[in-house]
Amino acid sequence: MDFEPTQTQRAVLDALGALLARYAGPERSRALAARGEYDWNLEEALRRDGFLDLFAAEDAGPLDATLAVEAIAAEIGAVSAVPHLLVLPALGLDRPAGPVVLAAGDPGPVRYGGEATRMLVADGDRCFAADLDSVAAERVPSAYGYPFARVVIAGRAELAPGSAAAMVNWWRVGVSAEAVGMMRRAADIAVAYAKDRKVFRRSLGSFQALQHRLAEVNVLVEGARWLVYEAAFAGAPAEAAAVAATHTMSALGRVTRETHQIMGAIGLTAEHDLHLWTLRLQALRAELGSWRTPSRAAAEARWATA
Amino acid sequence: MEFAWDQADVAFRRELGDFLDRELAEWDRSETGLGSAVYSEFSRGFVGRLAEKGWLTPHWPREYGGGGQGAWQHFVLGEEMWRRGEPRGPQYMNVNWVGPAIIKYGTEDQRRKLLPPIARGEVFWCQGFSEPEAGTDLAALRTKAVRDGDSYVLNGQKIWTSYANVADYCFLLARTGSAADGRDGISVFLLPLNTPGAQVRRIPGFVGDHSFNELFLTDARIPADCLLGEENKGWEIVRRTLAYERVGAPRYARAALVLDRLAAEVRTSGRLADPGIQEQFGRARAACEAARVLVYRVIDERAKAKEPSPMAYQARAAMVQAERAVGDLALDVLGSEALVEGALGDAQFRNSLGAGIAAGSYEVQLNLISRLILELPKD
Ligand SMILES: Cc1cc2nc3c(=O)[nH]c(=O)nc-3n(C[C@H](O)[C@H](O)[C@H](O)COP(=O)(O)OP(=O)(O)OC[C@H]3O[C@@H](n4cnc5c(N)ncnc54)[C@H](O)[C@@H]3O)c2cc1C
Repeated sequence: MDFEPTQTQRAVLDALGALLARYAGPERSRALAARGEYDWNLEEALRRDGFLDLFAAEDAGPLDATLAVEAIAAEIGAVSAVPHLLVLPALGLDRPAGPVVLAAGDPGPVRYGGEATRMLVADGDRCFAADLDSVAAERVPSAYGYPFARVVIAGRAELAPGSAAAMVNWWRVGVSAEAVGMMRRAADIAVAYAKDRKVFRRSLGSFQALQHRLAEVNVLVEGARWLVYEAAFAGAPAEAAAVAATHTMSALGRVTRETHQIMGAIGLTAEHDLHLWTLRLQALRAELGSWRTPSRAAAEARWATA
Repeated sequence: MEFAWDQADVAFRRELGDFLDRELAEWDRSETGLGSAVYSEFSRGFVGRLAEKGWLTPHWPREYGGGGQGAWQHFVLGEEMWRRGEPRGPQYMNVNWVGPAIIKYGTEDQRRKLLPPIARGEVFWCQGFSEPEAGTDLAALRTKAVRDGDSYVLNGQKIWTSYANVADYCFLLARTGSAADGRDGISVFLLPLNTPGAQVRRIPGFVGDHSFNELFLTDARIPADCLLGEENKGWEIVRRTLAYERVGAPRYARAALVLDRLAAEVRTSGRLADPGIQEQFGRARAACEAARVLVYRVIDERAKAKEPSPMAYQARAAMVQAERAVGDLALDVLGSEALVEGALGDAQFRNSLGAGIAAGSYEVQLNLISRLILELPKD
């Protein structure tokens, strides 16, 4: 056991940080979101600098790729990082240019569904790679940060046996990693506000009623974070992936409630940055079927409940 | 104890419900904010028809255009409105507490001038309390009103002022004493929003259209008779007139409506048979019902003309819990369908983020319960 990041992980995160400083962050994310666009430039930069190859790289691996997914989400990079960095490499598939959609069964509106030409669908034990008709895709308006669309399938091919489990497990780990990155940002913002904001001639954060809640948020997020890292390190086994997603998705609900509550009215405005993370978090929550779907999967993996 | 409804209240609810179902048949309750253009436009016509039936201000004394109705009927009215998405729009504030405050503290001139337009449903009011540095700690407010001959000159800034974009008047708190006076140096002004020097700016947010505005006051000069009650006694006026409004609007009724609609939707997809989903629906329903019964307890007190007690804080806190439970359920159960703008559950979730902040924050309710009901020590 060693909870310290390795040399490689440090180097990866440093390099990625520099890249994200140019191609991501609140300002760029706002501009892209206003136009409902995918960030082709960021994806291209990630590809060029080898971040899409981390998963299978000799000197790196799935955990490094997962850390990168977390970092991209923390900076609200407008790319579909989970498929490109985790799921496609885990299935040994190549990574097409542009967004890729992940779905279980019949998806409702999906993020970047308007520009995506490729979708992976888990349907029970079977897994399909589908081609999408991006012209026919129906874009839907949403307040939750990502551009959403209902996709239209143009054709599909079944993938090898075992693909469905691998896809779903890495999907859970990856989206949870994104959520962890976003929750950490949201919590940081609320903690900073609690320190700065003065009420009744004290700082807000000096009230114990709020301290305990911020502390609980911190415990939940740290729990989620290390479960995600551990699951990624182990190669996303079914139980660990489901447990990490369950814990992350429950934490997500609580983090949303508490950060917004502590920020008061200012956190509900478009001008303030908090919602850039918290509203997108809801999209992640919806994508994984909230805490309920992974929670059933965790019980099933552990006790064969089905 | 007696939990059955009075026959008269049942009859009133039925008559009102029939009227509303007819009136609202064509209304597309778009579930945006009450201050949105759709709402305020609809509201102006609708409340006029409500007023003709005597159902806009039924709880006001008859001499001011009211019907002298009791607390329960007033509440039935509120419930029926909220479970239809509150078609009165921003009007609910005028009729619930702005009017009654003017009745209680206004001069005869103020009553004659300001009450009839409210009773006819012709005007909107907004509430100018919060400031950038004064939210929960409202007594830290700094907007100044300085007496100058037979007028007051206002300078300062209000923020989060819902409906200011459509309002004709603002029920405004300003400092007439010094900052050191805290609660003792605050007065209430009935400010016409067309006063030169009063400027409204919208703040875009995501909890309903036009929930948020700023109101800038720059040398805004108003006649001295815009002062309500005595100078420096504003805190007392607000405390007393808002005491009856402490439970606030029966928002649990709207949450319960959304929950029913969610259940219908989930049933269609066959998933209401899932035990886990049933569990979450059951819990959310219980939260709505708990809020309802705790609110009823407060109305009982009101109907008996007792002094308002801290039970209202329990009711408000329970209402926040109910709104959140339904908002969370929408996302947990409907998934990405709930993320589509205007979809079932979308407004409920987003509004629930502000439920514990507007109209007296959740923590304030908890602090008051701790102090006044549990009598926990202060430090
Ligand atoms: C949808 C909406 C509509 C509104 N409409 C109006 C309006 O029409 N007119 C108007 O005047 N205002 C309005 N407001 C403003 C509202 O009254 C304030 O937002 C509220 O008073 C909180 O102030 P704040 O946002 O400055 O938060 P802050 O005062 O900064 O508080 C932040 C958080 O800290 C908590 N907190 C503060 N003190 C304590 C303590 N002692 N112990 C524990 N917790 C504490 C608060 O509960 C809150 O959760 C509206 C707000 C919302 C969200």
